[in-house]
Amino acid sequence: MIAPGRLDIEGVSVSAGEAPLVRDVSLVVAPGEMLGVLGPNGAGKSSLLRTIYRMSRPATGRVLVNGEDIWRRSATWVAQHVGAVLQDMPADFPLTVRDVVAMGRSAHKALLEPDTPHDAALIAAAITLQRLDALEHRPFRTLSGGERQRVLLARALVQQPQVLVLDEPTNHLDIRYQLSLLRFLRETGVTVIAALHDLNLAAMFCDRLCLMEGGRVVAQGTPEQVLTEDRIAEVYGIEALIQRHPRSGTLWVLPA
Amino acid sequence: MRDARSDSAAERTALLATLRSPPPARQTGLPQTGGSGAVGRGRFLAVTASIVALLLACALAGLMIGSVSIPAGDALAIVVHWLSGGALMTPDWRAAHEIIIVQTRIPRVILAAVVGASLGVSGMVIQAIVRNPLAGPSILGVSSGAATGAVVVMRFGLVVLGAFTLHIAAFLGGLAALTLVFWIARTGGQMTPTRLVLAGIAMSAVLSALTSLLVLTSPDPQLAARVLFWTLGGFGAAQWKLLPIPVIALAIGLAMMLAQARRLNLLMAGDESAVALGLDVERFRRTMFVLTAALTGITVAVSGVIGFVGLIMPHIVRLMVGADHRRALPAVALAGATFTIAADLVARSIISPLELPVGIVTALVGGPFFIWLLRRDARALGVAK
Repeated sequence: MIAPGRLDIEGVSVSAGEAPLVRDVSLVVAPGEMLGVLGPNGAGKSSLLRTIYRMSRPATGRVLVNGEDIWRRSATWVAQHVGAVLQDMPADFPLTVRDVVAMGRSAHKALLEPDTPHDAALIAAAITLQRLDALEHRPFRTLSGGERQRVLLARALVQQPQVLVLDEPTNHLDIRYQLSLLRFLRETGVTVIAALHDLNLAAMFCDRLCLMEGGRVVAQGTPEQVLTEDRIAEVYGIEALIQRHPRSGTLWVLPA
Repeated sequence: MRDARSDSAAERTALLATLRSPPPARQTGLPQTGGSGAVGRGRFLAVTASIVALLLACALAGLMIGSVSIPAGDALAIVVHWLSGGALMTPDWRAAHEIIIVQTRIPRVILAAVVGASLGVSGMVIQAIVRNPLAGPSILGVSSGAATGAVVVMRFGLVVLGAFTLHIAAFLGGLAALTLVFWIARTGGQMTPTRLVLAGIAMSAVLSALTSLLVLTSPDPQLAARVLFWTLGGFGAAQWKLLPIPVIALAIGLAMMLAQARRLNLLMAGDESAVALGLDVERFRRTMFVLTAALTGITVAVSGVIGFVGLIMPHIVRLMVGADHRRALPAVALAGATFTIAADLVARSIISPLELPVGIVTALVGGPFFIWLLRRDARALGVAK
């Protein structure tokens, strides 16, 4: 997050064996923008995100970070530019919170290079920003789901990414932390692409939304353009009222 | 926990600015010391110093105790005399004692230490590779493969490569088993930790059965006793000429692992996270797998299969110094060496002048410890996890 980066997804398709998971998806996330990826379970949100942090290689298409094809760069280069907050949690080993956060520095370190005061300062700042000071030396596996989520965000922050990928980051969080996490992401100014389940939070915080179904992008644009009553009925199979929040004026999706 | 609103905006802005700061230009002056490492560094050094003290005490005991017991003073004096090439200390001890210590006990203690250290670091790395703290070197099938290789040579009398035939056969057996495990785990795409573990267990079972079959159908009634050495391990064969290969293997292996310590840490985060943190997981796992297999194979070739060292030492060390491999790897090398020297000491003194296979001792100590660990973990984490 030294400077927000630009993300281009160009005609990306992913398949597992025969089954297509993502079909010909193209997206642009401008520097500093926050894009919410929405869609029902199995829509291909996570599969799409996996191509951005270089976990799965697209069958067709390219993923560009600051104009560079990530599959033409090393895993290290990608980790220096793209951070990810994922759902998998290291619970088998007695790692402390600080150990887990410090992992975020790996991509910036040469072989055998020790942690410098700069690394320590970054780690300390991320821990304080995520309000983890009291937990710093606790074993990670003893934390609650919400606390773990904040540790993983702190780890992604010390990676100093220009693009941050989050897969359902508000899972496990109570409403207060959901809001403070999303508010925090906006505050950092980093480019964000996040898979979200909560349509209202997405409408409240994201500049643009991308609605997926069956591996395809069904709609893309501002919350007003994407979240319409017809489209929600079509994609989620539910009836909903779309209104404006009386005080903030953001869109408000009410299942009816 | 503090309330979100109690943080001043200025403080948050400053912290965010810190997070955005690029690394300072490289300083040519004093080397930078790790500000982070300062956390718990005192404890790490204290633990390491204690293990070293214990290691030296065990090594000294290893020199003193045996069919002929030698007083500590004499043992120390002989070692100093020998180390200095005869320059220090005037011999006032019995010549026989010097021969016993220099020709027999020093190589034996060194071999036990090297084997213990190799098993300890191999175990720790394997646990990280398969992301399962309950795995050990035997999980790879390498140990059983090595034992089978040795038994095949003994059973059919295939002495084609001179005195080291058995060792070479054991090493090749281990590598062959590894290759098979690898192939099984890879079939159908990615090599996941679970597939590796299951393939290793299946391979071990088949190879153990094969070993038993070879022994039971052998016309040589002595074979069973000789095979015990390979399946339960021991340092009775220790000689100077046996030492160079395991010592060099340990030095190279440990150096390579330490150089990759940061990446080994990433494996503990889970495959997806490790990729996101910049690790080419598949390739790295393969490299480390081959490295640990070679180290284990060489170990089994010189000392037979010694169980539980590679399984429990990593646990004990993580409890003491944490899971960060930059600290845990050197500590587990020392702890493994200490434990194995001590186990060998028990094995050769408990029914002196006869010797127990050292694998019996490590299993009798390690097995119950492992069970305790399992139950403790189940309680601490909830059985569901």
